[in-house]
Amino acid sequence: MNVGPLQRVGTGLLSLALLLAGCGTDDTNQAVDVAGGVPVGAVLALTGNANVYGQDQKVGLELALKQRNGSGGINGRPLKLALEDSGSDEPGANAAFTLQINRGVLALVGPTLSQQAFSADPIAQRRGVPVVAPSNTANGIPEIGFFISRVSAPSSVIAPMAIAQALKIQPGLKRAAVFYAQDDAYSTAETTIFQEALKEKGLEPVTVQRSQLNDQDFQNQISAALRENPDLIVLSLQAVDGGNLIRQLRELGYRGLIVAGNGMNTPNIYPICQKYCDGLLIAQAYSPELDTPANTAFLKAFQAAKGGAIPPQLTAQAYTALQVIGEALVRLDKRQPLAGAPLAATRQQLMEEILAGTYATPLGEIRFTPEGEVIQSQFFVAQVRMDPGGRSGRFALLK
Amino acid sequence: MDAALLEQMLLGALLALSVYLPLGCGQLSLATPGFYAVGGYVAALLSTGVAAFVGSGATSPLWALLAEMVLGGMLAGLIALAIGGPVLRLRGIYLAIATIALVEILRVLNLNLPFTGGAMGIFGIPQPFAHAEGYVLFTLALLALACWLCQRLEALRLGRAMAAIRDDELAAASVGIDTPRTKLIAFVASAVLAGVTGALAAHFLNSWNARAGSFDASITTLAFVVFGGSRFWLGPVIGGLALTALPELLRPVGDLRLILFGAVILLGPLFFPQGLVTAERLRALGALLGRGRHRSRQAPQAP
Repeated sequence: MNVGPLQRVGTGLLSLALLLAGCGTDDTNQAVDVAGGVPVGAVLALTGNANVYGQDQKVGLELALKQRNGSGGINGRPLKLALEDSGSDEPGANAAFTLQINRGVLALVGPTLSQQAFSADPIAQRRGVPVVAPSNTANGIPEIGFFISRVSAPSSVIAPMAIAQALKIQPGLKRAAVFYAQDDAYSTAETTIFQEALKEKGLEPVTVQRSQLNDQDFQNQISAALRENPDLIVLSLQAVDGGNLIRQLRELGYRGLIVAGNGMNTPNIYPICQKYCDGLLIAQAYSPELDTPANTAFLKAFQAAKGGAIPPQLTAQAYTALQVIGEALVRLDKRQPLAGAPLAATRQQLMEEILAGTYATPLGEIRFTPEGEVIQSQFFVAQVRMDPGGRSGRFALLK
Repeated sequence: MDAALLEQMLLGALLALSVYLPLGCGQLSLATPGFYAVGGYVAALLSTGVAAFVGSGATSPLWALLAEMVLGGMLAGLIALAIGGPVLRLRGIYLAIATIALVEILRVLNLNLPFTGGAMGIFGIPQPFAHAEGYVLFTLALLALACWLCQRLEALRLGRAMAAIRDDELAAASVGIDTPRTKLIAFVASAVLAGVTGALAAHFLNSWNARAGSFDASITTLAFVVFGGSRFWLGPVIGGLALTALPELLRPVGDLRLILFGAVILLGPLFFPQGLVTAERLRALGALLGRGRHRSRQAPQAP
């Protein structure tokens, strides 16, 4: 074959790539662009296997945006939110973060999964852009750097509370069985915490069963576990696989208590395990039954938008994340107007402002440690109560 | 265009070339993401675990990256060499299934080995370049090298032997070509390229976990080659660049973007069953470029 054209096309391709590479962005001398509103970005998993979470979070962001712009925006200027889909993987999150940062956003909300955060947050840290994570619960997220913070309390704080509650309901518990998905970061991280909490209470797990994130049939694991006669089952699974496992557990005759982790902390499990969801214990960072003005306002807004439904934790946390950024922007703008200020310095000041504040949110009153870890005063343990038809239910707060 | 996206595209092109190499001698191997994951783990473990690889400055030393790429490529190559013998006795769809199994075995191993960080993987991988532009230039050089080698291959005895096996393995064997050896060389070369790419990608992505090498990734990399064309190296390169870029370039259409992306993958093979790049199209393009050049050269002679 003739070599000439190939080489010519190849050279053309390479020079085109070089040309494109040369067009890199440089935001060191950029100014804050407030045309059309104060720019803030969000990166959520709206597609892929984590999309049920991303959809919940999107609702929270929309409500927070409406609330902020309905009460004066950023001192008269509207807050402008650009939302991008990250898919459910790391390259998607990286690309969306970079895109948002190049757009000149002042702060970012996201990404949905801890796994994505470990990949995408270092980009924001390097470029000096504040990140408020609404749903990353793995250990080590705020430690990525100064610009990384979160409003989602880590599982190490929340998960042990559900075990304590189970022991309160049934003090004689002796034999705990643990399930987790071995190919999922959230699941493996949380199960370690659950297992430590169990050991602390003198409940060494009698069996630990592993599954895969995309499994649908858990008969093998369940039979193996039931042979050990467990009286408590602890799950660290996501909504879809966890819901299926609960249904199969009950169908195969398990009658004891079930504790689930944060992955199943969403009403999206109702249609999956239906009447079998009943009695499930979950520790939560948000309770719709919290009686504070901030939560009442959030509840009202959510129910107006969603026809009376109960907001899930992910929605409340996403709402909180944008609320935190909005309030910090208002305070910063009062001290020194945002319009036309140098972008890099403003991002730095915004991060300092976020960390310095105290916020009355639907989650209760929250603050941050200097590292960016959330300090939340109240946590809750809820038990799922399904309606008689088994179609819908609620998370009933346990005192 | 953004440098980070361009980097993703270049990595996609390198992976596409890795699928193209065995396909060049008729072997449908889907093992590329498995070797890609292995290379990434080598880089992630070395650069987070060995002090010398981290360096003391703001960025990790370039020699460390090069060493990781060599070691990652070597380990992937050794695995390919070890399993290539038995696996390459299989043909067509059977080979594809065996290589899918290999990817799955490597994935489960990576999830359960004591030092690979389980599902969380390894994070906080140090950066050899301060900006994505650095990665782009480096990867561009690597891609150019890989393309040049593929181009050279066509003229070499090995490349001709590969083409002969692709066209008819029995006939190739009957004229004295050592078909098992040739297929093994192509398989190992593919693994080395994937391993090297993985080592580079681990740094670029900041974190590395078992999801880098999954069945989904096998299909995506295969789509690069099917879309671009599997006869010349330019096909997979264009396929890799285009299909990596497309989901990002389609962002303005919002929720429809993945549907459109799927439609493109579907329509590509429907309208271009041989892929975008074929011999005829290249010749036509070459003639077009050549004519332009010819005309401009003649221009001064005009009265």
